[in-house]
Amino acid sequence: MITEIKQIPVEGVKYKHLGIEKKPLTPEYVPPPEELVSKEKRTVCIDPSRTCMPIGAMWATLGVNRAIPFVQGAQGCTTYVRYTFARVFREPALIANASFHEDAAVFGGSKNLIHGLRNLVCRYQPSLISIVTTCSSEIIGDDIQGFLYEALDEMEAEMGPEIHDMVKFVIVNTPSFAGSHVEGYNRASQAFLKTLAKKSGQDSRDIYFIPGQMSTGDIRELKRMFSTMNLPFKMLFDISDTLDCPLTGMPKSVPYYPPGGTQVSDFVRAGDAEAIYSISPAAGSAGVKWLEKRYKVPGFINTMPIGVKNTDKLIKSISETTGRSISDEIRWERGILLDAMADCLHYTMGKRVAICGDPDFVSAATGFVCELGMIPTAILIGTKNDLAAETIKDVCDEYDHSPLILNDSDQFEWEYALKNDAPDVILGHSKCVNISKEIRTPLVRFGFPVYDRVGLQREPVVGYLGGERFLSRIINAILDHHYPDDRVHQ
Amino acid sequence: MPVVQLKCNLCIPERNKHTIVVDEDKSTLPKCNAPTVPGDLTERGCAYAGARGVVGGPVVDVIQMVHAPVGCAYYTWGSRRHLGDGYNWAMPGVLENEANHRRHCYCTDMQEKDVVFGGMDKLKKALLDAFEINKGAKGAFIYTTCTTALIGDDVGLVAKEVSKEVGKPVFACSAPGFCGVSQSKGHHEFNFQFYKWLMKLREEHPEVCLKEEDKTPYDINLIGEYNIDWDLLPVKPLFEKIGIRVLTAFTGNAYLDDLLRLPDAKLNVVHCQRSATYIAELIKQGFDVPYSRVSFFGIQQTAKALRETAAFFGDEAMMKKAEEVIQEELDAVTPALDWYRERLKGKKLAIYVGGPRVWHWIKAMEDLGMEVVACLTTFGHTDDYQKIVERVKPGTLVIDNPNEFEIEEMIEKTQPDLFLTGLKEKYLVRKFGVATLNSHSYECGPYSGFRGLVNFARDIYQAVAAPVWKIAQEEF
Repeated sequence: MITEIKQIPVEGVKYKHLGIEKKPLTPEYVPPPEELVSKEKRTVCIDPSRTCMPIGAMWATLGVNRAIPFVQGAQGCTTYVRYTFARVFREPALIANASFHEDAAVFGGSKNLIHGLRNLVCRYQPSLISIVTTCSSEIIGDDIQGFLYEALDEMEAEMGPEIHDMVKFVIVNTPSFAGSHVEGYNRASQAFLKTLAKKSGQDSRDIYFIPGQMSTGDIRELKRMFSTMNLPFKMLFDISDTLDCPLTGMPKSVPYYPPGGTQVSDFVRAGDAEAIYSISPAAGSAGVKWLEKRYKVPGFINTMPIGVKNTDKLIKSISETTGRSISDEIRWERGILLDAMADCLHYTMGKRVAICGDPDFVSAATGFVCELGMIPTAILIGTKNDLAAETIKDVCDEYDHSPLILNDSDQFEWEYALKNDAPDVILGHSKCVNISKEIRTPLVRFGFPVYDRVGLQREPVVGYLGGERFLSRIINAILDHHYPDDRVHQ
Repeated sequence: MPVVQLKCNLCIPERNKHTIVVDEDKSTLPKCNAPTVPGDLTERGCAYAGARGVVGGPVVDVIQMVHAPVGCAYYTWGSRRHLGDGYNWAMPGVLENEANHRRHCYCTDMQEKDVVFGGMDKLKKALLDAFEINKGAKGAFIYTTCTTALIGDDVGLVAKEVSKEVGKPVFACSAPGFCGVSQSKGHHEFNFQFYKWLMKLREEHPEVCLKEEDKTPYDINLIGEYNIDWDLLPVKPLFEKIGIRVLTAFTGNAYLDDLLRLPDAKLNVVHCQRSATYIAELIKQGFDVPYSRVSFFGIQQTAKALRETAAFFGDEAMMKKAEEVIQEELDAVTPALDWYRERLKGKKLAIYVGGPRVWHWIKAMEDLGMEVVACLTTFGHTDDYQKIVERVKPGTLVIDNPNEFEIEEMIEKTQPDLFLTGLKEKYLVRKFGVATLNSHSYECGPYSGFRGLVNFARDIYQAVAAPVWKIAQEEF
């Protein structure tokens, strides 16, 4: 016990010295009533694998150069989100708040929005502000567009007409009771293009990409791949630099703005693009569809490029769209992944795997594990998404697997399935740690959110080389756990 | 001129009253406990966060039911490090990986149709389900949020109905995000509502009270101690060693049955004096149980807390024993603390946490020989700032409810070697080449009491001494 130690060493008190004894709350295990395991038959939601809609819109905004989300809601609506970004990316996230108090709840949030935008503009001179609504502002029925006109008038009177060129405003409606963080991003993808995109008539050769809620490492890997293909492209909502920023000593000036992010002008020119891709259909297809409809920009919606086939599909599609042949570098990278798969087949074949996460991550990863000869057993699609469920079914049919697919459920039901039938390995986010420890099955962390290990936000899982890294992580987890030392040596 | 003009506030003069430099006669206090300026990159949380995350959240053996769309529940799921030791079984022979109150996230997951038609029915069913599933739960706490408060759900009624049906206590706390100016309002609401509920429960069910024969003359509660990273462990045994019985903490690692006996103590010892003096005051008014204000951070303050508590009971033997315990503790920690003091002496430090911990830590940092150059609080009230200003040197910068830009300017102006702050600000300030420490949930606690101070000193030393800061400043 901590108070029994005669002298505390310089290293301080170790965890084992705390002498914590776990006290069971019931004498023995009481299984939940069978009929309440299925989410369909129960009202309470236990352990959701998804969070609120506004964070998705804020996420997208943080990928834009000198852009700040302005959240029309109470202070918790930004603070919780900023904590989340801090945990996942270990970076600051600039997010402003309208500071809703009782008066806003009663009289509406017009004053908060008008003063708030003005204060934010005069302090930060951002290039763009996204106005992100919340449960409270949506229930009160704030007329955001009307408030924005009023705010613009006031700012024009104070700061001059330049204000209209200086700052762009995008409204994203994100009441959390109508969807999850994935839908919030999806809505933002549409709202940004709808508000900003124009067609100048001067066609551009640029291919546009909406990455969805990929991590910084994933986006970096895609940009590297596209660069080796000499592809002229624009990455929208590019958080790869804004949420992964170097330490360079004291910044020259305040306020701190992370470098990088998509330029607002790239959104404006989107109407001229040669094509636009959503590579995370649940988070981005709305933007693609809108741009296609409005400006006839050819739109493509691809499964996230995780694994061989999913990456193949994207590369082939880009090749066809742009009339470029697939470069030797890309073929080489693909070969590296295939080589790794061949080298590891004895570790992967027949291994049973459970998967949990956001729709696009889960559907793409299912394709990959099938390619590895693994057997998917229980798959939780964190946010209900029929396209993801369809994609999973198709690929599982192809490989003759029939996993349990939970498409409108929560982690409680999924975990219970794992307890009854433990897999060899779990692919999931940091909220899957508990079940992983309880059933003593290794967890390979991927998707959102991963906050309990360092550096994974920088480690890609997309593309061929990202696939190779992902494969190594999966296998090393299996080796750590399932192989005695003397069988790993070759 | 005690008010400080920060560059970022040139166009927002209403913030000037919140930023002061402590003057010689210490007469100026910053304006505080006021609404946040709209458009701020605020560090504040909401009232819901104060109720759910801080005060209610640490209670171990209840179902923590969040009546809201999924986000409000998700963000408070296991994120705050208020630890506990009550576990449910994951399966036969295997306990769950986290204690009951942090392992699962229970919510009503309000959808559009629920918002339109009301969510009371859903809440009731959800609670009944949860009680069926979680057999270890001794009761439930319900929290409302912006959504469910705005649509007018009567959660108190649902609590009563469910409690009657399952025969376990159910408490409903109504502290939606928009109420009050900060999370402080949530602490306040939880305290008042919980006390009111408790009174009624004890009246209707006198069997929950501590029986006369089970009482001792030396029963206390530790109020406003939330067991962050096991902060209770270096503190509670000190009292036990001098013959005092701690009935419960409010609410660190607390069990519901024990909380129901809060008014049965002889003394309430209040640690966090912002979030929990309310309930101590209410118990004093209702039950004539006095309370004392203490701090368990640092050598001086912990020793003082122990001495004063022993003195309260007026027992000579106990007071003597307290001195012995203090000596024993000092013997245990002095060599390690000396090692750190030598290396930390004169380092400049800025402190930014919720409220009371700022002034608690000014003293604790004195124990380590460090110099405080700036103090900031998220939701401090006047009494917090009085104590801060009393305890620091003239010339110290004090900012109430700082936003991100103001924190940056504070760093520029005061150039501290270390910034004690929360998770969000820690990554920002590191970009400025300044060491930081997660002071909300700690890096590797406990930090409280005599023995915890060694951990605190170690983490501070590690932050300041890391070679990375020097390398980052070198020409390349």
